[in-house]
Amino acid sequence: MNEWLYESAWLVAILPYFASLVAGGGLLVLRKATRSLREWHRTFLMGSLATSMILSFLLVQAQLGGSGPYRWAMDWIVSGHLRLQMGYLVDPLSSMMLVLITTVGLVVMLYSHKYMAYDQGYVRFFVYLSLFTASMLGLVLSPNLVQVYVFWELVGMCSYLLIGFWPNRLGAAKACQKAFVTNRIGDFGLLLGILGLYWATGSLEFGEIAERLARLLASQALGLFFPTLCCLLLLLGPLAKSAQIPLHVWLPDAMEGPTPISALIHAATMVAAGVFLIARMCPIFQQLGTVMETMAWAGALTSLLGASIALTQTDLKKGLAYSTMSQLGYMVMAMGIGSYEAGLFHLVTHAYSKALLFLGAGSVIHGMEPLVGWDPAKSQNMLLMGGLRRFMPITGTTFLLGTLSICGIPPLACFWSKDAILAGAWAAHPILWTIAWTTAGMTGLYMLRIYLLTFEGRFRGGSLLPYRSHQKAKPQEDGGMTSCLLILALPTVAIGWMNTPWFHLGPGPSPSLIAFSSMAVSSVGIALLGGCVAFLAYQRATLGLSGLSYQWPQLHRASYNRWHIDEIYDRSWVRTNQILAERASALDSWWIDGVANGAGLIGLVSGQANRAWQGGNLTYYALSMTIALVSLLAIVTFSTLP
Amino acid sequence: MNTFPWLSTVVALPLLSSFPLPWLRERGNHLVRWYCLVVCLIDFLLLGYVLGSHYDFSVQGLQLREDWSWIPALGVHWSLGLDGLSMCLALLTGFVTTLAVLGAWPVTRHPCLFYVLMLAMYTGQMGLFAFVNMLLFFLMWELELVPVYFLLSLWGGRKRLYAATKFLLTTGIASLFILLSAIVMALYGKPTTWDLSLLSIKSFPLALQITLYLGLFVAFGVKIASFPLHSWLPDTHGEAHPSTCMLLAGILLKMGGYGLIRLNVQIFSQAHHLLAPWLIALGVINIVYAALTSLAQRNLKRKIAYSSISHMGFVLIGIGSLTDIGMSGALLQMISHGLIGASLFFLAGALYDRTRTLILEHIGDMARPMPKMFALFTASSLSSLALPGMSGFPAELLVFFGLALSQAYPLSFRIPAVALQGLGIVLTPIYLLAMLRQIFYGKQTRLNHRHFVDLGPRETFVSFALLLPIVGIGICPQLVTQLYQGSLSW
Repeated sequence: MNEWLYESAWLVAILPYFASLVAGGGLLVLRKATRSLREWHRTFLMGSLATSMILSFLLVQAQLGGSGPYRWAMDWIVSGHLRLQMGYLVDPLSSMMLVLITTVGLVVMLYSHKYMAYDQGYVRFFVYLSLFTASMLGLVLSPNLVQVYVFWELVGMCSYLLIGFWPNRLGAAKACQKAFVTNRIGDFGLLLGILGLYWATGSLEFGEIAERLARLLASQALGLFFPTLCCLLLLLGPLAKSAQIPLHVWLPDAMEGPTPISALIHAATMVAAGVFLIARMCPIFQQLGTVMETMAWAGALTSLLGASIALTQTDLKKGLAYSTMSQLGYMVMAMGIGSYEAGLFHLVTHAYSKALLFLGAGSVIHGMEPLVGWDPAKSQNMLLMGGLRRFMPITGTTFLLGTLSICGIPPLACFWSKDAILAGAWAAHPILWTIAWTTAGMTGLYMLRIYLLTFEGRFRGGSLLPYRSHQKAKPQEDGGMTSCLLILALPTVAIGWMNTPWFHLGPGPSPSLIAFSSMAVSSVGIALLGGCVAFLAYQRATLGLSGLSYQWPQLHRASYNRWHIDEIYDRSWVRTNQILAERASALDSWWIDGVANGAGLIGLVSGQANRAWQGGNLTYYALSMTIALVSLLAIVTFSTLP
Repeated sequence: MNTFPWLSTVVALPLLSSFPLPWLRERGNHLVRWYCLVVCLIDFLLLGYVLGSHYDFSVQGLQLREDWSWIPALGVHWSLGLDGLSMCLALLTGFVTTLAVLGAWPVTRHPCLFYVLMLAMYTGQMGLFAFVNMLLFFLMWELELVPVYFLLSLWGGRKRLYAATKFLLTTGIASLFILLSAIVMALYGKPTTWDLSLLSIKSFPLALQITLYLGLFVAFGVKIASFPLHSWLPDTHGEAHPSTCMLLAGILLKMGGYGLIRLNVQIFSQAHHLLAPWLIALGVINIVYAALTSLAQRNLKRKIAYSSISHMGFVLIGIGSLTDIGMSGALLQMISHGLIGASLFFLAGALYDRTRTLILEHIGDMARPMPKMFALFTASSLSSLALPGMSGFPAELLVFFGLALSQAYPLSFRIPAVALQGLGIVLTPIYLLAMLRQIFYGKQTRLNHRHFVDLGPRETFVSFALLLPIVGIGICPQLVTQLYQGSLSW
């Protein structure tokens, strides 16, 4: 059974690929037919993903049953002594990711059926979704770095296509380009890192690199500098994908895409790819202290930065996006301090909770759009919402569940994982712990703020409606969408029990009870404090937080404007690039072209002179040809002379 | 030596079959274009048949040799042959030319002359790759220029005469260096021979090697658009008819790379070892400089033209890397860019047919009226920025590996070179995606959208036909690299 299962593991990634290629090809060649058969196509695409999901569950079961990792690879390019391979690797990490991706992917597809029902690009959307899921599955199955790079880029491409799904939205057009280019900067580092590691160790397999690196370092054949440089470069890739400082700027803008995409790609799966790669590379990174420290600090700072920006956002999706960034910072920090288990655990719990939150946000937006208009500046604006739980009870309740989970309130999922990370940080470095702990408080504040502004209080969107009769209209929730929310609420509540002091799934020791409870008290305490502040400020209005922002308007503006980091990048990198481009273009047209034209001009003048002299109307070309042929004949004649 | 002169037939067929064209012109362009398409297709299929039946892929070195004494006084032989290197490029020529003829379907202005020139170009390009005689190589090189000149000056854009003159002067003067080098190479020492395989056995003194190497580099550098010899290319590509552009970007640029590998690398290997670092330096400049310049272009075709220059930088680096891996990457990049460049120029032409403008600011929001065009343009652009799964990726990856693993250079040279080369992969998406954004995304411009029809079946077919091998090579690069694996060692 296991043998057969492992041998067919490649189907997990190939099935959705195949399905998306068939449907995508159909869309290109037989556009009308494909679009009229959209239900059939959706079923086909979802069916292939469902098959992948079943296989993934079987694989994870086999892995938990204790069968060791399974690896298969074939040659992709062979050139000289270079052998690049493609294949797959099934181990606990990859099988866990497979389940995560396929389940969230399938729920998102189910949800999109309703959400995108009236969209012109319905089939295209499902094709992209399927393509993305397949690429992501290929990524987590990768047994070596080159394959990681291949799927890494493909995942980025799908993200590009999906952010720009509505091409006539100006924001989307800019955001998709920004996302791709920022990720390409990460890929640049990733590629150089891969090349450097291959040069140093002669291998592209994760395990082999770690082994050989350890041997090289032990025998002093290689200094610390070069591998550290390579790994830092390589780290740029995960930092870009997981939206960490300094390459985080693309993620909030990516919210221009359709909301199901934000749930699947920009909250649950793709942004976690960076964390996944770090986990895969952990035996290598662990040998290099600088790399680990960089990772820990980048993660900690990102979590703080994300939380501080999320405090003041008025766009529902942007607020959630900064929350995602902050939580990803937690994961990367956990990797940096060596608590991989905690980081990966948080990856899983966060994925389900955040997918739930984003799909809930989608449900809200879907309900708001008919009332306030199809403009994201209005339909996603929390200042126009409020009191929505009365009209959307299921959305509101599940959203609250997700909110509490992200805040780290027991017994919901994220509590367990966040607690493990905090415990790790405590052991590693007090300052890191302080940052993480403060961020936990801010998380409570901003998450509850989002919830309260959206779902509690009075509905504020009515004022926008043109007619009094319309003002009575209330947002509605859709049964198809809420059922998806209910499905996701299940893991949001329960998945944390995978890894508690009492019960433990998978390898490694379970956390100790004493350390656990002391951590739990402090972390839940600060989260509750943050929550209370939010409650008092936004529900009871007894705490004048708005007064705070009046007192320090710069601070509020800075947080609202993302600490001006985007502007700084625009003014430094983007502007430099533009200036360089203009300079290069000017150089090209003035100097290089100028020299060519000048030479041509001189030639022309002398040609005219020649023409007068010869009296014929020879073109230049003929002239040069004649000279050439004459000289040829001359040389030949001379050389054949005795 | 086989009995029937297959290769000569393949080379001469297009030119010979262009002779009856003037008698076909009474019926407008209908008959002419079908005739020409069929000729191109027959020639391509013939080449495929010859390779399939008479070519042994497991054997390295020249095959299908034909060798007759042609001008005994000069020792010139009519000699042809193909090895892995030239065979791949010959196949590319047949493929792209056939599609370019299909791409030129709507040409109504002097269709007869147009197709005669296309066929002449076919012969010139095919001959260039097939002849293994230095003098014939030069003749084919020159034969190629004439049709391009007329295609450019008669069917080009507004500045066509300027562009055509510039093209002819630059490449014409540069090709003199081939002739001079050929003469010196042939007459130096004994025996007096023009045959490439015999020339590679001759031992030239180093000083002479370097001189000849530099001379040939001028000629080939112009063709491959190496910095600073590239200034003809943006003008030529910017003005030429789309199907001429397909041939220019698809094949003409590759002639330079072919020449570099065939002559500079395989014959002057000593000089190559000395001068290879300069090739890498030029390649890096090409990549970064042209990518930056491309970003500042407002004209769509000029933008794509600079992107071609940028991609040729990878070929230069691969050739200069002094490794089999890099060389393999260089050839793969030539093939891959031949397909991608042709595809991009074809689609740019198809877009121009509808918008009648190439200035990017005047175009916008084209995704709605033309979804197919959007999809295919996006696919081509993504393949041009070396997305995995498309042919550009394995090619550039091999070049990266080739340079990074090269034993010939110290680490202090390789690290900055690889890093600068890597800059290309950041800069390329910036200009390509900005191009896509300007054309397809955003707000409607003053162009009237009601007039825009999406790609028709013919146009879709041409694009698909180009994208199919791009994706095929991208997924399974071994399909192509196996063909030439042995022929590149030197």
